[in-house]
Amino acid sequence: MYGFEALTFNIHGGYLEAIVRGHRGGLLTAVDYNNLCQCETLDDIKMHLSATEYGPYLQNEPSPLRTTTIVEKCTQKLVDEYKHMLTQATEPLSTFLEYITYGHMIDNIVLIVTGTLHERDVHELLEKCHPLGMFESIATLAVAQNMRELYRLVLVDTPLAPYFSECITSEDLDEMNIEIMRNTLYKAYLEDFYKFCKKLGGATSEIMCDLLSFEADRRAVNISINSIGTELTRDDRRKLFSNFGLLYPYGHEELALCEDFDQVRGVMEKYPTYNLIFAKLSYGESQMLDKAFYEEEVKRLCLAFEQQFHYAVFFAYVRLREQEIRNLMWISECVAQNQKSRIHDGIVYIF
Amino acid sequence: MSGQGQRLNVVPTVTVLGVVKARLIGATKGHQLLKKKSDALTVQFRQILKRIVQAKETMGDSLKASSFSLTEAKYTAGDSIKYVVLENVGSATVKVRAKQDNVAGVKLPKFEYFTEAGETKNDLTGLARGGQQIQLCRSSFIKAVEVLVELASLQTSFLTLDEAIKTTNRRVNALENVVKPKLENTISYIKGELDELEREEFFRLKKIQGFKRREVEKQMLLNKKHAEVAALKQTASLNGGRGQSDNNLLQLEADADEDIIF
Repeated sequence: MYGFEALTFNIHGGYLEAIVRGHRGGLLTAVDYNNLCQCETLDDIKMHLSATEYGPYLQNEPSPLRTTTIVEKCTQKLVDEYKHMLTQATEPLSTFLEYITYGHMIDNIVLIVTGTLHERDVHELLEKCHPLGMFESIATLAVAQNMRELYRLVLVDTPLAPYFSECITSEDLDEMNIEIMRNTLYKAYLEDFYKFCKKLGGATSEIMCDLLSFEADRRAVNISINSIGTELTRDDRRKLFSNFGLLYPYGHEELALCEDFDQVRGVMEKYPTYNLIFAKLSYGESQMLDKAFYEEEVKRLCLAFEQQFHYAVFFAYVRLREQEIRNLMWISECVAQNQKSRIHDGIVYIF
Repeated sequence: MSGQGQRLNVVPTVTVLGVVKARLIGATKGHQLLKKKSDALTVQFRQILKRIVQAKETMGDSLKASSFSLTEAKYTAGDSIKYVVLENVGSATVKVRAKQDNVAGVKLPKFEYFTEAGETKNDLTGLARGGQQIQLCRSSFIKAVEVLVELASLQTSFLTLDEAIKTTNRRVNALENVVKPKLENTISYIKGELDELEREEFFRLKKIQGFKRREVEKQMLLNKKHAEVAALKQTASLNGGRGQSDNNLLQLEADADEDIIF
């Protein structure tokens, strides 16, 4: 149905697309970032932000400002916007919007399960959860002692239930299993999201599949790099890679065998898209890889705004906001810690 | 100073003098020893001070670096990574053990850290994003903890040593300025008193000697006179002359009077 969604898209999606494009205009620009980089204190940052869309959220903060407060308030803004869009959305856009938050939901579940294992207070843990990933029964997660119970009592009612089918086999919950569980869940989530987008068809499917493939490939590379030198076996590593993306399946096989960063690099250089990213890094240096990936992601997300009548803009908007919050966090931390020489290392300019 | 002119309240005798002299020798020896101890402690103190300054500088740098590496970890792994790491921690991996060190008789507390093996379960944290940054952050904070432990150890040693130096110096000063002058004063007092006594004794002896000599002379004179009178009487009785005898008696009386006057 490619090309024809223009006829009917605006019946349900037009209003929200207008809203999201309006929000896009509120993203900080390079000029804003340049101004923010000139700040000497966190209060200066607050002053600069008061001229942007973040103004109302930071307005009533008392003066000894902290980085966490800034990040918290900016996230609050994103959550408010998201909730507004979600309440206005109709099917299938509402499901699409919900899909966006599943990643945070997985993180929250894992956080609470880990906390419960160490007998922390559940309410304390709930405060630490990401607001985008909250669901109703999240507080009851604390009762679960093993995976089976966790699934039977709590998760069966959440949208994440199908993802657990893969990792239900592991009986006890220790730190190793939990981290693997998180990644298995995330893998299942990405695959499901991918399938869902394919089903939606049209420009949405075209753009979203591209974005999700990039996400999956990035995860595969990161997992490979981060699992070097840990107890994670090659087969386990291979199992955590999502079954789509540019690297699937041959790249995954090769990545699973990598023993150091330069081998990963060797694998990635065969792919022209990633070759460009790795070309920016000098040999043996993996520090700036994250930033390079972030930059590439932002570039792709921005391109999503170039087309009309599709849902990928919502995904792109939420991701861009998250990147913006990361940028703000980086700037505030650099200012607070007096590390202004490093300030440009972390900023990914969005437009 | 404060001890000047003061002395112990003792009976000035030769025995006491001996005792006090022994005490003075003891005090001098003690003063020397304490002075040496104080010097040794001061040397140590200076060294510790130097090391504290160095440790503080490294602490500043390493804390700065580690908090920035936390920022880097948060940037790549997301803000919530803090909680994930926190929840994963069961017990401390780096622990501190206290030891004692001995410097010139002063017991200095010394801390040393050790890592408990088999507790590092954070290997896989941030597997999908920022795992490396988390490990870097971890190692830089471990370095910071090492510096902190060293600094804590130095600081406590510094305080203990400071206290010890103060007491030692107080003792040195007390010995030098109070005890020793007091003992010296006492000794000079006793010596003075003994000299005085000796002079008194000498004078008394001289006096008594003079008295005795006079006494002896007087006795001798008297004896002589008696002998003379006796001789006169003898001659008178031999002559039998009354007038002569009266004359003699008068003369004798005059002599006796003279003697009385004398």
